[in-house]
Amino acid sequence: MQDQISRAEATSASGGAIIHEDLTSRWFMLSSVAYFFIVGIIALIIAAKYVWPDFMGTSSWLTYGRLRPLHVNGMLFGWLLAADMGLTFYIVPRLCGVKLWSEKLGVATGILWNIIILSAVVTLLMGVTKGLEYAELVTPISVLVVVAWLMFAANIFMTIAGRKYQAMYVTIWYIMGCILWTAFVYLTGNFATLVTSGVNQANLHWMYIHNAVGLIFTPIGLGIAYYFIPRSSNTPLHSHKLSMIGFWALAFVYVWTGAHHMLHGPISQWLQSIAIAFSVMLVIPVWAVVYNLIRTMKGQWHQLRDSVPLKFLMSGVVFYLLTCFQGPMHSLRTVNAIVSKTDWIPGHAHMAVLGAFSFFAIAGTYYTAPRIFGKPLFSQSLANWSYWMIMIGGLGMFTTLWLGGFWQGWQWNNVAIPFIDTVVALHPVWLMRFLSGVMIFSGIVMFAYNVMATALGPIPEPASRA
Amino acid sequence: MERKVDTSALWAVIASLFLFFIGGILTTVVPPLIDHSWSKPFKNDEPAKGLTGELKPLNAEQAAGRLIYLREGCRYCHTQQIRTILADTKRYGWKGVDAPISTPDEFVYDQPHVFGTKRTGPDLARIGGKYDTQWHRTHFRNPRNLVKGSIMPPFPWIVADPKEFSELVAYLQTLGRDKNWRPANDYEK
Repeated sequence: MQDQISRAEATSASGGAIIHEDLTSRWFMLSSVAYFFIVGIIALIIAAKYVWPDFMGTSSWLTYGRLRPLHVNGMLFGWLLAADMGLTFYIVPRLCGVKLWSEKLGVATGILWNIIILSAVVTLLMGVTKGLEYAELVTPISVLVVVAWLMFAANIFMTIAGRKYQAMYVTIWYIMGCILWTAFVYLTGNFATLVTSGVNQANLHWMYIHNAVGLIFTPIGLGIAYYFIPRSSNTPLHSHKLSMIGFWALAFVYVWTGAHHMLHGPISQWLQSIAIAFSVMLVIPVWAVVYNLIRTMKGQWHQLRDSVPLKFLMSGVVFYLLTCFQGPMHSLRTVNAIVSKTDWIPGHAHMAVLGAFSFFAIAGTYYTAPRIFGKPLFSQSLANWSYWMIMIGGLGMFTTLWLGGFWQGWQWNNVAIPFIDTVVALHPVWLMRFLSGVMIFSGIVMFAYNVMATALGPIPEPASRA
Repeated sequence: MERKVDTSALWAVIASLFLFFIGGILTTVVPPLIDHSWSKPFKNDEPAKGLTGELKPLNAEQAAGRLIYLREGCRYCHTQQIRTILADTKRYGWKGVDAPISTPDEFVYDQPHVFGTKRTGPDLARIGGKYDTQWHRTHFRNPRNLVKGSIMPPFPWIVADPKEFSELVAYLQTLGRDKNWRPANDYEK
């Protein structure tokens, strides 16, 4: 089973039996990288607004309340999900030993996805919104998202159905799980919330928010990590059985935890307790995955020195472990009473979405870009620089937000301190966050430039670039 | 059995959806059926049973104000929930009176809900009646005119539009008013 990943690749390489067109992967890769850069600018602007609140402040289109949903939706759907979908279009045909079911359908999905993101940008800046966090896109756009997802699902499932190997590598499991769960999670958050109100709606909404990360980005991100870690290090996966335990535990446990976003809030106490119990259980799938991936690298750690994808992948695994340790800890009532609603939470969210899942997607992009464009990567050293900028900037941002958020929570719990003093106290924290953001953004620029230069650059003469 | 699930995509689909739906249904569909306070609007006229008051739907002007609250993304920085935490009840009280804890029956008409996830600014669940219209006008024009060190964005385009401004203020003044928590109803207009 462990060597299945190698068999699948070997078939495609030997004798050119299968030539992957990878048109769909290219579409998704180039658009996701472009959105990563564009939305990165938005991220910097809103980080600057914490420090200089009047910065770009007198135009309604550029106010914080409109740029923030654009930042969140742009990063989640424009960059990360699109990058993950592009990598899925690359991985699944190779693991199944067949061509993608339909490149035409795939490219159409890519075009539709771009239409969705561009209409999201316009509507969010106009303040046209459904008013629910992570589900801001108005209903017509949400309908398009569902259509695009069905097109994606049809393509991937038809490819899997026609596979050459009966046994399925763990990456395929996670991708299938992601496609199925996303469909229901998205419908709950964007459509079931339309016919409910108050706490009932909030409960559905938090089920969506939590599982947007837990059952959309986690399974597809882990699927990508499970593929690229053995691939880039040329090492078989440590254990197929353990990867299955992680998968089934994720399938069962994750969906129960939504109400932990309302701890101490106006929602039934027993539901809060259920959410806490299942949040703590999350360590089971997380530690199964992390142990498996770390063991895979046993004796292979020296490879990190020369491989940018592996640097991103293994740092991503460590961030995944940390973020999923924080999660269960925040859901304990005593800890929650301090960190909830503070700046700690964006620190935590960024470690999950940037530190873990974006790292996996960046690694996958660096690994696949030369292969789908048939040219060497534009610059290895620039890639290495992009890693260190995003890594150090990211660590700076996470740690300042945790420390600042914890401190903020302590201050809030001391009612002798007026609220405004707790705002003023955080000024240096927000300044540090902005400066870390500048570092992260410069890494993103290097990454995006490197990928674009690889894609658009001339095909080098053989041996001229050894 | 294990072999079957391991090699059949159809089995994989069925099993992963089945496991997902156990938790999915038990935590989203079942709770509102069990806890009726989620759907029954707050109403109490017996002082012996705690605070009196009644939850009323917003009128047209207040509802329009709520749409402005959504449009400008106020909910990204302001929560609307007094939690079961002592500091919340003290900090968001008024003139020595503690703010009552938010309960599900106060939010039955909220569509969409605005509980919020982040407190960059203070909680607004009990803000209604604390500040008068003139205060809000000055504050929305530029918050730093009134609160030194505030990082709230200025909203001059709302103040410049008398209709929008009075709608938004009308909405804010309703917040937390369904429970009669302040003695002698000393609310500002």
